Amino acid sequence: MLAADAAGDAVGAWEAMPRRRLAFLGRWHNPIGIVGAAVIGFNVLLALFGALVWSVDPDAQDAERLLPPSWGNPMGTDELGRDVLARIIHGAQVSLQVGAIAVGIALVAGTLIGLFAGFHRGVVDAVLMRVVDLMFAFPGLVLAIVIAGLLGPSRRNAMIAIGIVITPAFARVVRGAVLEVMGFPYIESTRALGASSRRVMTRHLLPNIAAPLIVLVTVYLSTAILAEAALSFLGLGTQPPEASWGGMLNTARSYIDAAWWLSIFPGAAIMFVCLGFNFLGDGLRDILDPRLGPTVGDIPVKK
Amino acid sequence: MLGFVARRVLLMIPTVVGISIIIFLMVRLMPGDIIDILFGADIQVSEEEKQQARIALGIEGSYPEQYWNWASGVVTGDFGQSFRNAEPVLDVLLRAVPITFELMILSLLIAVLIGVPLGVISAVRRDSSSDYAARVGGLVGISIPNFWLATLLLLFTSRVFGWVPPLGYVSFFDDPLTNLTQFVLPAISISVFTLAIVMRMVRATMLEVLSQDYVRTARAKGVQRRLVIYRHALRNALIPVVTVVGFEIGILMGGAAIVEIIFGLPGVGYVLLNSIFNRDYPLVQGATLMIAVIFVLANLLVDIVYGWLDPRISQH
Repeated sequence: MLAADAAGDAVGAWEAMPRRRLAFLGRWHNPIGIVGAAVIGFNVLLALFGALVWSVDPDAQDAERLLPPSWGNPMGTDELGRDVLARIIHGAQVSLQVGAIAVGIALVAGTLIGLFAGFHRGVVDAVLMRVVDLMFAFPGLVLAIVIAGLLGPSRRNAMIAIGIVITPAFARVVRGAVLEVMGFPYIESTRALGASSRRVMTRHLLPNIAAPLIVLVTVYLSTAILAEAALSFLGLGTQPPEASWGGMLNTARSYIDAAWWLSIFPGAAIMFVCLGFNFLGDGLRDILDPRLGPTVGDIPVKK
Repeated sequence: MLGFVARRVLLMIPTVVGISIIIFLMVRLMPGDIIDILFGADIQVSEEEKQQARIALGIEGSYPEQYWNWASGVVTGDFGQSFRNAEPVLDVLLRAVPITFELMILSLLIAVLIGVPLGVISAVRRDSSSDYAARVGGLVGISIPNFWLATLLLLFTSRVFGWVPPLGYVSFFDDPLTNLTQFVLPAISISVFTLAIVMRMVRATMLEVLSQDYVRTARAKGVQRRLVIYRHALRNALIPVVTVVGFEIGILMGGAAIVEIIFGLPGVGYVLLNSIFNRDYPLVQGATLMIAVIFVLANLLVDIVYGWLDPRISQH
């Protein structure tokens, strides 16, 4: 699958980064950032091992319908008698997967576009950046809704749509960072020593634009998770009966008077994760790059 | 200033053309033949009938021809007809736009009228408990999904007050009170994110401005604290906020699409979503274009306000 390959490439790019550039993590004392990292860590653990600890089948319709929270079903049961906690855990897996793959797509595509445009300049740069500007002329979520809707409602298509929509943000930031780094004398000296374009890009440019990319990844992970929840809520993402936070909130609307727990827990889960990413992004931004300026949620970084 | 505005308006034209090309290609590059999807598994449809349908839908001929037909129609106000009921797309959109407009204006008002004072308080009383509360509240505000907030508000009002917003959209000009009661919950739901962003932005820029020399000078020569904060500092702190509002309009439009569905308000987002589910491509094209153009216009307006607030920008 195309999307999975993209995520794989992203991991490759991470590993290509010299370790010393990530050494700042050892000097990290920002309490907000640490809380954010802990929240995300908890969520990752929940997604990975939650199903082992709470081994109830999220699709089994075993219990009575619409049971309020109790010891047997800590978050109650839904309209088909499925355990809400088990479905929340499954939803954590879904949202993490969507976040990682959608941001992976944008990271790889955006970095390639930005690197190419910033390195070669000229006509290629002008054309690519005009297209990027045009993408910014659409409200992001609306564009995601249209792309996901036209591709057909499914989780895979939702991931592709979200990836496409956030790619321009990555392209723009990478290009800006590349232009800045290209101006430093060491790039010129590397070239004078006979380094190929490829070597300059992979060994000298990429590692030096890692800092803004890390911040972007954390910020857009939360955007992507929120967007997936919104798309699933609208019926354009993960399809029922599979559990997803957005989809659960959508069905909960019909039972808003009868069963409050159906509306509360999935929404709280989404908020919890986004809060984690926003805290982490805040903390990271402080130490990584004060010049980045305020960027939160959907606001593109202007360079 | 006039030249600046004229330049901005002219620059908008290629943007809108580019947007329309993207929308046009998006609808056509999607998998599956529109005609096959429309007629489904109906084998009885002859090739001739399919051809006629293609002509009727404007998907006959090469892409440049199709685009030219569509774009020249749009310029004269002819967006084509809805697949579903043959209603002109423009009529559907003109009915929907005022609803989305009202929703966005209300939510922007809420966000700015509450967000700016909160940001000022937070900055002026830096590191106090109210600053701390506002900052944490701000982070919560940007993390809470608007569709969940909408659900919570509905849950809250129906549980506590036994009240739900009246169903069936009523125009503001027919019955202002009913109209506003319909819009208040959706407007709050989508404004909270923007409110939090505005608050954080005002706080950050106020802190910067308050440390400037001219603020200290003003205080030193005996200008009242209140006056310095509101007359000297806030005015300058508001300039970057205007830019943020420009970005926020896009987010508000995305949010509006969702809450319009939740609250059954037939705005542009509502039309867009239904047209997507109905595979009503002329309407998808029209609604997407409409949303993008409104967004571009809003940003144009923001640019102009920006140039007016900060003369340095309009002189370049």
